[in-house]
Amino acid sequence: MNQGPGTCQAKESSAGANQLSDQNLVAEVLRKDRKATAEFVARYADHVYWYVRRRLVPRADLVDDLVQEIFVAAWENLDKFRGDSPLRSWLLGIARHKVEDHYRKRLREIQFHDEEENAWDEPASLHDLEAALAKRQAGQRTQEILKTLPEMYSVILLWRYWEKRSLRDIAAQIGKTEKGVERMVARARQQFKKRWYERQSPARG
Amino acid sequence: MSDNLQHEDRLFEVLARQPDEEGSERAPSRLKAKLYTSLVQKQQESGRLRTLAETRANGHGLCVFEDLWSRVTSSEAARSFNCCSVCHARLLAEHWEAAPIYWGHCPYVAFGKK
Repeated sequence: MNQGPGTCQAKESSAGANQLSDQNLVAEVLRKDRKATAEFVARYADHVYWYVRRRLVPRADLVDDLVQEIFVAAWENLDKFRGDSPLRSWLLGIARHKVEDHYRKRLREIQFHDEEENAWDEPASLHDLEAALAKRQAGQRTQEILKTLPEMYSVILLWRYWEKRSLRDIAAQIGKTEKGVERMVARARQQFKKRWYERQSPARG
Repeated sequence: MSDNLQHEDRLFEVLARQPDEEGSERAPSRLKAKLYTSLVQKQQESGRLRTLAETRANGHGLCVFEDLWSRVTSSEAARSFNCCSVCHARLLAEHWEAAPIYWGHCPYVAFGKK
């Protein structure tokens, strides 16, 4: 069996040893070795699942199908894996493409509404959010808020900030103007901040 | 973009970089079982799987059914047969989390391990 990335031997040797291990695994999967294929799934399914689940929030119902699509696409392209980067990164690259396909499709389908936009008396300061960031305590709460946002807002925020796509890129992909996308992102941020602030001060809600 | 909006934009960039513990959420074993099943099916679409004898020679253990099958069959095609496709363990693993499968070298058992 190949040594996994977490073993002592792997830790003792260079990063190259991990890559060699990846390449051995890939070679065996390409030879259609069923046990190597099982190892491939066991080794990488958690990483891909975790990434997709974070990027598809709040649509947990779509995660399994997308992870399955990613692994099938990986098999179909596995002969192109050269080992230049770890297999995990290569797989997450495929996952990123699939996630962005999903964003593109959803943003073309969903209509943005202006509801609630002006119904909130926004605080002048973003102090709460800034303070949480300074203490590095924002990760968990951010996930919770993304789960409660309407899908159109979570998709545009995840695409813009978590996938680090420019307004221009997003606009080109969904057939809207850059200004239009900027407005969509601003609305999404406002809804996010509203929920953040409500969680901080429930009485104000 | 106004200064306020630029500040907010930068704040969200920082927010997206906040650490979020990986490993706290594992893929369900049912999903892993389905992934494995569909990958092996895809592999079969373009020809035979590696024979069980070759798999064993390469250092992988065979489950009790695969071992038996590899001993009683003689043709290459039969030795490449995907025993999991007719095994109840696959059905259990694809539908139950931590399915009650107790024999060694079954891939579906490995998917349930923490």
